[in-house]
Amino acid sequence: MAELTQNEKRLLGVLEKERKADAKHLATLLDATPESVVQWAHLAGDKGLVSLDRVVDKTFGYTDEGKDYLKHGLPESQLLKFITRNTLLVDLQKHGSFKIGFGQLRKKGLVIVSNGMVSKADGASTSADEAALKNPQTGDPKTKELIKRGILLETESVRYIISLQDEGLQLLRQGLDLREEIGTLTRDQILSGAWKTSNFRRYDVTKLPKKAYPGKVHPYQRIIAEMREILLEMGFEELYGGIVQQSFWNFDALFQPQDHPAREMQDTFYLRESLPLPPGYEKVKAMHESGGGTSSTGWGGVWKEEKAEQCVLRTHTTSVSIQHLAKNPTPPVKAFCVGRVYRRETIDTTHLAEFEQLEGIVMDEGVTFGNLLGILREFYHRMGFEGVRFKPSYYPYTEPSLDAEVYVEGIGWIEMGGAGVFREEVTAPLGINYPVLAWGLGVSRIAMLRLGLKDLRYLHRSDVAFLRQTPALRHTKGSV
Amino acid sequence: MAVITLPYKYLERLTRTDKKTILDKIALIGSDVERVEEDHADVEFFPDRPDLFSPEGVARAMRGYLGIETGLPSYPVKPSGISFTVDPRLVDIRPVLGAAVIRGITFDDESIQSIMSLQESLHWAVGRGRSKVAIGIHDLDTVKPPFSYIASPRSRKFVPLDYTEEMSMDEILEKHPKGRDYAKIVRDFPLFPLIVDRDDHVLSFPPIINGERTRVTIETKTILLDTTGTDRRAVGVAVNIICTAMAEAGAKIESIGIDGVQTPTLAPAERTVSVQECSSLLGVELTELTMAELLKKMRFGAVPAKAGYVKVQIPCYRADIMHDWDIFEDVAIAYGYDKIQDLPPKTFTVGKPHPVQVYAALAREVFCGLGYLEVMPFTLTNEDVLYTRMQRVEKKGVLHVMHPISIENTVVRTELLPLLLEFLALNRHRELPQRLFTVGDVVDSCLTYQQAAGVSTHPDADFSEAYALADAVLHELSIDYTINESADPAFIDGRRGDIIVAGNLAGVFGEIHPAVLNAFELEHSVAAFECDLRAVPGYPGT
Repeated sequence: MAELTQNEKRLLGVLEKERKADAKHLATLLDATPESVVQWAHLAGDKGLVSLDRVVDKTFGYTDEGKDYLKHGLPESQLLKFITRNTLLVDLQKHGSFKIGFGQLRKKGLVIVSNGMVSKADGASTSADEAALKNPQTGDPKTKELIKRGILLETESVRYIISLQDEGLQLLRQGLDLREEIGTLTRDQILSGAWKTSNFRRYDVTKLPKKAYPGKVHPYQRIIAEMREILLEMGFEELYGGIVQQSFWNFDALFQPQDHPAREMQDTFYLRESLPLPPGYEKVKAMHESGGGTSSTGWGGVWKEEKAEQCVLRTHTTSVSIQHLAKNPTPPVKAFCVGRVYRRETIDTTHLAEFEQLEGIVMDEGVTFGNLLGILREFYHRMGFEGVRFKPSYYPYTEPSLDAEVYVEGIGWIEMGGAGVFREEVTAPLGINYPVLAWGLGVSRIAMLRLGLKDLRYLHRSDVAFLRQTPALRHTKGSV
Repeated sequence: MAVITLPYKYLERLTRTDKKTILDKIALIGSDVERVEEDHADVEFFPDRPDLFSPEGVARAMRGYLGIETGLPSYPVKPSGISFTVDPRLVDIRPVLGAAVIRGITFDDESIQSIMSLQESLHWAVGRGRSKVAIGIHDLDTVKPPFSYIASPRSRKFVPLDYTEEMSMDEILEKHPKGRDYAKIVRDFPLFPLIVDRDDHVLSFPPIINGERTRVTIETKTILLDTTGTDRRAVGVAVNIICTAMAEAGAKIESIGIDGVQTPTLAPAERTVSVQECSSLLGVELTELTMAELLKKMRFGAVPAKAGYVKVQIPCYRADIMHDWDIFEDVAIAYGYDKIQDLPPKTFTVGKPHPVQVYAALAREVFCGLGYLEVMPFTLTNEDVLYTRMQRVEKKGVLHVMHPISIENTVVRTELLPLLLEFLALNRHRELPQRLFTVGDVVDSCLTYQQAAGVSTHPDADFSEAYALADAVLHELSIDYTINESADPAFIDGRRGDIIVAGNLAGVFGEIHPAVLNAFELEHSVAAFECDLRAVPGYPGT
């Protein structure tokens, strides 16, 4: 049997003596409202301890009209008294109760009218009607009629009779702990020591209450934070830079030829704004046109200033790292940047026009392509990827170039990002005299894997339910 | 990217090995295998290696990489005796011409298709959509040399490819599908480029369309290749790539005298490169001899030169060799990326987070402590969300992208709060209360900086909640602020406060105006707060 509440116990307690009683009566005994008592009786009734009977009582009352008749008699009674052997109708019409009373008398056949004279029928009496008025009875036709005439009012009232059942009696005989029960532990109970003599109400501990949702960072943010942490541990300094970049820093300084397809309007978001070129830009111009005195041939053709001045939404964070290198040409430089980058792509489940890129650079005396592979292997290992491999690739501003692939259980080898050594065409015009290792990766790729997302848009137009339900731990290190 | 179809039988014959060996190693020379089918594979090659855009080119590279045939491939060229003249008036129109004769190849539908697809890939990768380089192939036996590349009146008529009637060049730009596609390259010139033969028969209207007369069919015995453009190097490379691919397929190449200069020569270029420089770039120990051997695998000619140097002959089809390091990359590929010792650099450095990100993380911590859930909206949005629905005036420094993809993404966000309201609208059907925040970049007049914003919606969300949120965040970030009554129309009058830091407006909070709630189709009141993180003391750039 389910646990009895304290109130059910109290109800059983009083019923031990009363056995059967009206809820109202029990309510006074229990110092509660009858409604509460009925509610407790329901609970105890479900357990078969008591029975609960619903009794409907009808009671009668009087309308204002009825109250008046109770005092002075029904109109037909008053009129009947007035009628003698031969009463003139015209005289009768002067009586205050004529309108209602006369109609009733005729309807009941208590008067006879002939030749302007009114006389009582034999044995005419309204005593039965008066009796019904004074003492209405359920089912009495006279009473019904008075109700119909709007003289009497019939109201229903419900009573509950609660009676102790055998099972309840047995339980009482076994003895009930009737000490006070504590629901919410109050300050008073704690301080007064009342808790010592009280019972703590037992709860259903398996029943989940209304859910609590913690405030938390976005699962994608957690992945970004994890990558930042790894690079900080690996001794990298973090960079932060603008979303809006000059074409010069986004493309030209990275030796991207001015007629390169990636620079066209259909691949890059251009802005109407232009910014003046930085001092020393001529060296970049010379590099593009003729190789700037290095072993390079350059791209040939004419390099146009206006094209380089135009602002774009950065297509990679490399535009930020290259400016950092130009400002800090003294080795060693180990830096990284995570930020939103933009490609003019039609948005669908796997392509977004904006996404996070992580990018790192190492500039130092004597660093090699082999060191770059070493950094990447270390980074991906720390991200939880055991299998890492490299294959040749092509990026306009690195030589040699590579793509890194990681092994994911159940999927296979997945391309994770590109890397390479900055071309001399990139470093020489900016006065950078040491090799620069550079790599980048799309953060959303890892997020998709970790979160099992089928649609990248979900990262940025998230369902709150998804964010609430996604546990924090799933996205921490080493748990792809 | 160029995806090349490689039929196995043809590839195996040219490479002289089985398809498994080829497919196992093909990614190691720089490619992505896209699809492996029953009779062919589709493989993507990088745009810097247009010489690999044909089965012939791939076979040539794979023979070297697999050690079947190494070193510089040689392509003998003898003069055809045919001559070509270039009209000097083309100098500002399309001045560069390359040409060659390709003989001794039997054409079937498949090989015509193959040369056409190489032509198209080159148009894309080298030709920049035909503007820099355009290639035409003709049945030489349908016309008579000598040929002239001339600047012609636009009214000149001929029958273009795939048509039966004569059209003027102006009409071609208007009516012919290719004319419409490429009209923009020539439209503004008073005269149009045209190639004609001795009898004034039209071979081609470069870069638009060939004449129907010289169509290549399975009957064709000899091909005349024309390549026109604006860049001498690019035109040369395109000619070399096509000629050497055809030579790999068994053709004989003959040169043409263009204004007296025999072209093409298909001769290699030369560079002498340092072994030491290559070693220290790659982190691999090399000698003159080992380096030369590796380069031969990549089809370079290579011999040890003076001590510490290797003399390299660069095949004429290699468009990508601009610098010594381009040669060193081939050394690395031949050596094998998987064999290079991968050790991180030894120099000691200390990691350092950027203060902007440190403060952003702090702000996130405070919001999370208050029970707010982080969201990361897009940075591209539109004026309707940022201003119209917010009842705010468009910010002066808002940046409009010039060619937006859709009307949803026309500007870079200048505030975060409107995006949070949009987010609430998106999640209208989710359990309340909803408390959301975001911290991130906004842009004003080309300047990027960070804001933080939070919203709370439920039936009892009110001004006090917004104020308490604002106060908590500002306090935790040590921002010393005062409050003025705000006039921000996004909020209810009398229930909005401006956050003033050192005399400047640094943020706003309050109860969102019901008209704004209507505009975002929100059903419950919203307490909101946004602030400029540059108000944080010691913030970078302040």
